[in-house]
Amino acid sequence: MSDDPTAESPERSSDGSMLHKRVDRRGALGMLLGGVVVGTQALGACAPLSAETDEEREVKLLAWREYIKGNYRFMTEGERAETIARLERLAELQRGVEVTIQSTGAQPGVLFGYAFNISKCKGFRRCIEACINENNLDRNADTQYIRIFEIEDGVVNLDKADATFQHEVPAEGHFYMGTQCFQCANPPCVKVCPVGATWQEPDGITVIDYDWCIGCRYCMAACPYWARRFNWAAPEVPVEEVNPNQHYLGNRARKKGCVEKCTFCIHRTRQGRLPACAEACPTGARVFGNLLDPDSEIRWVLANKRVFQLKEDLKTEPRFWYFSD
Amino acid sequence: MNRIRVEAAAWCLAAAWLASGCHEPSATKAGELPRSVVAMPIDSATAARNASLEPGALATVQAVPVELWKGPGDRPFEVALRSAAPEAGHSRMFGTITLPIALRSRTAAISQYPCTSCHLGRKVVMVNKRIGDAHNNIQPVHPAQTGAVCSTCHSPDDVQLLTLKSGERATLDESYRLCAQCHFPEAKAWAGGAHGKRLDGWQGRRVVMACADCHDPHKPAVQPRIPFRAPQIERTRSHGP
Repeated sequence: MSDDPTAESPERSSDGSMLHKRVDRRGALGMLLGGVVVGTQALGACAPLSAETDEEREVKLLAWREYIKGNYRFMTEGERAETIARLERLAELQRGVEVTIQSTGAQPGVLFGYAFNISKCKGFRRCIEACINENNLDRNADTQYIRIFEIEDGVVNLDKADATFQHEVPAEGHFYMGTQCFQCANPPCVKVCPVGATWQEPDGITVIDYDWCIGCRYCMAACPYWARRFNWAAPEVPVEEVNPNQHYLGNRARKKGCVEKCTFCIHRTRQGRLPACAEACPTGARVFGNLLDPDSEIRWVLANKRVFQLKEDLKTEPRFWYFSD
Repeated sequence: MNRIRVEAAAWCLAAAWLASGCHEPSATKAGELPRSVVAMPIDSATAARNASLEPGALATVQAVPVELWKGPGDRPFEVALRSAAPEAGHSRMFGTITLPIALRSRTAAISQYPCTSCHLGRKVVMVNKRIGDAHNNIQPVHPAQTGAVCSTCHSPDDVQLLTLKSGERATLDESYRLCAQCHFPEAKAWAGGAHGKRLDGWQGRRVVMACADCHDPHKPAVQPRIPFRAPQIERTRSHGP
């Protein structure tokens, strides 16, 4: 028992210190049930007939610890480091992939904004390809965060737009308009979440704690831009295609029954890089930058181009503008 | 690399001198050239810009100010050039630079196979006699539209340089100076940040592609392609699979 790193808290709980410590309900549940799990394992260790290996036992314990952890938003730095260490170890044990999960916070004085040039986009969907690879999106259900709508010239009606075109592009007499999560300043999806699993970060990115999400999909109903995706099954990504550069609030492995969406590639943009879609765009239709920096390209576009937001009348204030040459 | 370049230039000059001296009086030859080109020999600044970029080296090149263009924040538009680092991958193939806007260097990219290996001086010298293979990828769509000929943009006596309307020379890295002579709105948007593919990140130095990095100068329109696969659900899935 003594060499088992997870045996600490049950031992403490058994000597009664839990009674003198301030422990919340979740913590107490964790300690008690953790004790049960470890106890069962101790029994298993005594019985030579048990076929459970050390690795299986470790996976069980880590998964249990993950199950009873708190909301990422309210975790201390230490707790965040712990959960990230567990998730990295779980990825190694369960999937055989070595991943690095960041918990990088928002940079001060940064508010992300995005502009999309509808005269430049030719509907090549290279952004979608890059997004799938970068964000470890489910290959089985073919989850795609971005939609590129093909719209007839002169028609400004998304109901008549087609996102499932499959022919050589650009098609004569059509223009292309991409949608994804717009990271609204007034996000309806955040308001409706009954458990606080989704929130807006200081740099304007609306994020989801996939482990806190209960999968009610209220946010999907609330989003007027079809930006959120639901995992009907556990996402499947071939091991050799997994992007190991991950963020807790971004492209780490999701589980069955949680909602996910575009995070402006939070693991890249918080390190000063461009989102994968902007980097992949072969036509330069995508402009990304810091709205608080008056010298940024996004501010130049907002100041010098005619811009519009999608469904502006809903007052969701997307930080995503469309413009044309 | 500098040494090779200097040698190539010396060889080029020597060949031109020999060619003109052997066949006809040099005055006749000079008379054939457009006046502006004769009047504006390669100035030292252009030569320096052309020579100072070596493949793999992280070099900065003197900025060429383009008047009337304003960059982000209404600041004067300054351009620096940056050479490619061969060991890096495609998306990270550029080093670091110290000026506000950086371009990737084409001059460094073509140094492996310089134009002067065939084009010596004013005359095209067929080194390997395979003229049919040379430039067979060039489709002169843009020249056909505009009535331009080779020497409208390329300097006839040094095809590795471009000739501007003013007679000034520009390196192949400075395609933006040439294109901007006609395409004003695009140039303005490019300087501001609304046109052109941006490399590196949103933070720090702004690194953009120059005109000829995306557009084939001889056939500049974006060509049609087959797109990446379509989504299975058009907007969002409101019920189970």
